[in-house]
Amino acid sequence: MYKGQRGGGKNRFYQRRKICRFCVDSTMELDYKNPKALKQFITERGKIIPRRITGTCAKHQRKLTVAIKQARQIALLPFVGRPLN
Amino acid sequence: MRKYETVFISDPDLSDQAREELFERVRNIIGRENGIILNFDDWGVKKLSYEIKKKLRGHYVCLTYGGTGALVTELERNFRLSDLIMKFMTILITENVTEESLKQEAEEVQKAAKEAAETAPEEEDDAEEKTDTDENNADDQDDAQQPESEETSEPAEESKE
Repeated sequence: MYKGQRGGGKNRFYQRRKICRFCVDSTMELDYKNPKALKQFITERGKIIPRRITGTCAKHQRKLTVAIKQARQIALLPFVGRPLN
Repeated sequence: MRKYETVFISDPDLSDQAREELFERVRNIIGRENGIILNFDDWGVKKLSYEIKKKLRGHYVCLTYGGTGALVTELERNFRLSDLIMKFMTILITENVTEESLKQEAEEVQKAAKEAAETAPEEEDDAEEKTDTDENNADDQDDAQQPESEETSEPAEESKE
């Protein structure tokens, strides 16, 4: 049973380090007018996905939340998305 | 002076003439308060993410202009009074802009718009249609894609160890 679990224990849940998508691609701009790009960072329910999941850096996550909230304000993104069917 | 950007959603069921009158009124307000219009970007009728005044569609206009705080209050006061405008949002883009630089920018924007209109009036129509269909598809795709990508990445990490 234990044979296949070399390097187990604490390190078993090692994860590849996530990279901030906005730092990698500097052409990718954060703008509330582009809801298609922002949609990648919200759930189906319309919630903002935390950066521990997406890997976005703190600087860009701050700008991202502002952009998402502005887009919500002007009805480009939903405050509450449709629920899962 | 400051540079602002205002997006407003007007009633989608307006006639072209009524809409043009509304836009003219907005332009007049900015002119009256000594503002400079940099760009008047008409996005057309778009689907709203949630209902506003029981309507699911809205006619978006994005307006970039230079002016003072008094202009913004005056503009927003008029938006509130008007029944034709369903929602609006003003955002400050840059502070401390000089009048000359704004005027210069306005000319550049106008030039660029003219050139764009001359070179490819037909292509624009095609592009708009494409984006429309993309958006409809994107709604369904996004939901499906996200969980998938997470799942595929996880087993790969495990196998490394």
